[in-house]
Amino acid sequence: MTSAPATAPWWHPFATPEGATVLHVDLTPDAAREAGASSWLDEEEAERWRRYPYSGPRRQFALCRAALRAVLCEQLGCGNEELSFPTSAHGKPAALVGGEPAPVSFNVSHSGRHGLVAFAPGGRLGVDVEELGPRRNLELLMEGVLGPAERAAVRSREGPDQPRFFLRLWTMKEALLKAHGRGFLLDATAFEIPPAVRRGATRGTLELPQEPGVIWQLEELGDERFAAALARDVSPGPAGSGAQR
Amino acid sequence: MAATEERLRKLVDDNLEIDGRTAGEPLDPDRNIAEAGVPSTDIVAFWKLVNEEFGVDIPAEEFAGLLTPAALVAYLDANAA
Repeated sequence: MTSAPATAPWWHPFATPEGATVLHVDLTPDAAREAGASSWLDEEEAERWRRYPYSGPRRQFALCRAALRAVLCEQLGCGNEELSFPTSAHGKPAALVGGEPAPVSFNVSHSGRHGLVAFAPGGRLGVDVEELGPRRNLELLMEGVLGPAERAAVRSREGPDQPRFFLRLWTMKEALLKAHGRGFLLDATAFEIPPAVRRGATRGTLELPQEPGVIWQLEELGDERFAAALARDVSPGPAGSGAQR
Repeated sequence: MAATEERLRKLVDDNLEIDGRTAGEPLDPDRNIAEAGVPSTDIVAFWKLVNEEFGVDIPAEEFAGLLTPAALVAYLDANAA
């Protein structure tokens, strides 16, 4: 494990939604970058990196994890060798510095050539990114993750706007599922993105039926390259960031 | 079991896009497809396609525990019509 990446950073500030920071990570294939990134991983991460059977996911993991390490070292004022990322029973990682929980929440997502790293001083948060483009099995995907009003809204779109709109909804739901921490185990068809957000508002709040009283804020982050969203628990109290406006 | 494996591999070849994987490559029976880097949208589509192809109705929560080919083949051999 080295103390600094050998090449110029491949991550850059992308958005600063209300107390959180989101970085864009360039995942274009680049052997020198990937070698530099892999040297920043701890033993367990390097083993995971080597075990990836396919080149794309292997590259995405190394470049995103090294970017995460670099920004958290800067934020927390710690050395790379002090950082570790144990995962919860549902696979969500947390940051430890010298074995102690670090005062930071973070989440990482990648799709194709784009990664996003989101972090904030506290509160549950999740981020999701999906490269834009046609999607096979769009009807099946809608059936798997959207509620009835959301499906109708996607079906009302035509041409390339249809998968784009689906991905806009999906990234918001996936960001929320990731923030929640139970991922695929929560039924995404059991809640819907608020109507105002479906109609184009870039920010909205909602409560999950399984967790009344917990307020989730959704923020759209997408651009012409990808759909993306950030979800944060903005409830007052210990689990949330209290950042609701 | 071999037939189930073959049908699963064809579903993967036809429907999952994994950067760096060549269609027809054998699946590692013990490798979790999420950990192999399959995107979440593809996993959702795969879940629905498996239900269609094998005439089963695996709940999402249960499917999340069947993400290795070996576990999925065992489940399908025991439960598919």
